[in-house]
Amino acid sequence: MHFWPRFRAQLAGFHTALVLLFILAPIAIMVPISLTAGTMLTLPVPGWSLQWYEVVFTDPRWTGAFINSLIIGAASTVLATILGTLAAIGLTWGQFPGQRIMLAVISVPLILPIIIMGVACFSFYATMGLVGSRFALVFAHAGLAAPVVVTTVMANLKSFDRTLMRAGASLGASPLLSFRRILVPLVLPGICTGALIAFLISFDEVVIASFITTADQRTLPRQIFSGVRESISPAIAAAAVILILCSALVLALTAEMQRRARKLQMKPR
Amino acid sequence: MTQAGSTIVERYRAPGFWRSVFSRLLFSAEARHFALVLPLLLFILVTVVAPVGHFLYRAIDNSTVAENMPRTAASLGDWQPADGVPGDAAFAAFAEDIRAAASAETLGQLAQSLNQQLTGTRNMILKSGLVVDDSVTADNAKAILLEKLPGLAKPELWALFKAGGSAYTDFYLLQSFDLERDVSGEIRMVGADRAIFLAAIWRTIVISINVTVICALLALPVAHVLASARPPYAGILLALVLFPLWTSLLVRTVSWIIILQGEGPVNTSLLYLGLIDDPLHLVYTRGSLYIAMVQVLLPLMILSILAVVVKLPKELVRAATSLGADWWQAYWRVQLPLIAPGIVTGAGIVFVFALGYYITPALIGGPRDQMLSSYVALYTNKTLNWGLAAALALQLLLVLVVAMLGWAAFQKLSKGKGA
Repeated sequence: MHFWPRFRAQLAGFHTALVLLFILAPIAIMVPISLTAGTMLTLPVPGWSLQWYEVVFTDPRWTGAFINSLIIGAASTVLATILGTLAAIGLTWGQFPGQRIMLAVISVPLILPIIIMGVACFSFYATMGLVGSRFALVFAHAGLAAPVVVTTVMANLKSFDRTLMRAGASLGASPLLSFRRILVPLVLPGICTGALIAFLISFDEVVIASFITTADQRTLPRQIFSGVRESISPAIAAAAVILILCSALVLALTAEMQRRARKLQMKPR
Repeated sequence: MTQAGSTIVERYRAPGFWRSVFSRLLFSAEARHFALVLPLLLFILVTVVAPVGHFLYRAIDNSTVAENMPRTAASLGDWQPADGVPGDAAFAAFAEDIRAAASAETLGQLAQSLNQQLTGTRNMILKSGLVVDDSVTADNAKAILLEKLPGLAKPELWALFKAGGSAYTDFYLLQSFDLERDVSGEIRMVGADRAIFLAAIWRTIVISINVTVICALLALPVAHVLASARPPYAGILLALVLFPLWTSLLVRTVSWIIILQGEGPVNTSLLYLGLIDDPLHLVYTRGSLYIAMVQVLLPLMILSILAVVVKLPKELVRAATSLGADWWQAYWRVQLPLIAPGIVTGAGIVFVFALGYYITPALIGGPRDQMLSSYVALYTNKTLNWGLAAALALQLLLVLVVAMLGWAAFQKLSKGKGA
């Protein structure tokens, strides 16, 4: 009688372990491969070496791509975060005609297949002669990331106590002052979470970048993408490990931000 | 004018009325909130909606032909393809149009655009730019052109020129559904050797459905284990599920190529164990595409189901068991219907994402595993056939919208049942 429930639990546990192995292994294997002493992307590795990290950190093609990724990521994050935060406030608190349509338009990038966005940017910026311009890529990435910022900040705003703003106003604060001194500090973790995700979206994005960048403004994922198609070298794995570490860092930071958000919003009660 | 009407008009004219409207608009809470959303709305309109609209318009855009061949199209007013080769006037107009296009340096574009609608036209149009010199006049145009460019005797070509009278064409939209117009303008299926797009839509849908089903089956037990895990482990397990979601899609796809390739760890271990004698072709197949897509989308399904499972009241199963149900009955008839909304949510997300996949099929699928997205990219990159690329993109959006409407209707239905 007690055999079956335990067996079921063990089976489910075993299945979960296999599934976790399945979804994590492809990420984990990049680490040993990036440390190979050989010249092939194979496992097991013939020996250990840091040579491919040296390539990624010294070859101008890789360093250039890395710097480009940082610049484009930072610029699109700033744009997406400012526009997204303001819109999230308006959408959460406002009640104006056309609000649902506006939300729908803003959400378009969330479900639009990325290839359509990529080809459309190519078609659009090519007619304007802007292919190869960093601005074009920054705009495209900010457009992709802003709806995500809106969703994140809206989720955080819903638990924000609006009487605090009225309290501020009753004490003589102007709307702008209340915004700066009450709203922003309390919702800051949510805004930071949105900004981190926005950065990651830009930092990992490859399809649009492959359509509208020229050779001298390749981003890191774009460089990996062309590396896979042209010359397979373990430098790709080293660059991939850098991307993975960035993701891990961002994930850890957002977890911390959400912990702070919960703490901040519990205090006034 | 009625009494009520005149008072309204008088109110509009009253001094200070417009000022009060403006101040109400500018300083009301609604206006302030609207003003906060407006910048992002405009930004999305400019950076996303405008480029996508501009691109999709190319599916019906025939302006290259319309702008370069106005005279030819006009001269073919009453001509029907059944009439055969048109008369002198049409050839004279054609020569005039070609001369104009050559001097405006748009002949190349015109040749490209016509070639996309009728293969093999490019060289003839480019050549016609050389044939039409000063010796060609309205009287001898037909004789000279037909002699030097025998291809011009084809009625299909003149049908195409006549269609240039309109700035729009349904050619690419029809082509994306494996349809075409015959010489008399009737819509028909294209020959089996050129019919590739219906199969591509079908393949895209089938792959997406299979990926969704595999994800749901794999995710269900995992969600239960995660929901019943104790606090420190629950957090760790959740982080392990979340982490792949945050990792670059490209990196994960490249990883699968490395794992599954001929000298990859899977083949190496199978060879070592003596289970196979030659490395298996695992990568660039439908199987490898499924493996990579499921790996990428599985966390989304796990999270969607988990959101429902954690809220399940534990007493339900006990109640069902106490009433004499065995475990399987309790699960199938009590728990699963309550989990179903989570599965539907997850399935919707996974299916919609899968439909639009590009990077994964492009890198890890074989030539026969390509989905609609890959064709959009192909016709953009290889042949710069914007019209067809845009028509295929529209088709992808159509499938997506139908899927989302179906999903929304289903959710409404299941919610109505639950209430």
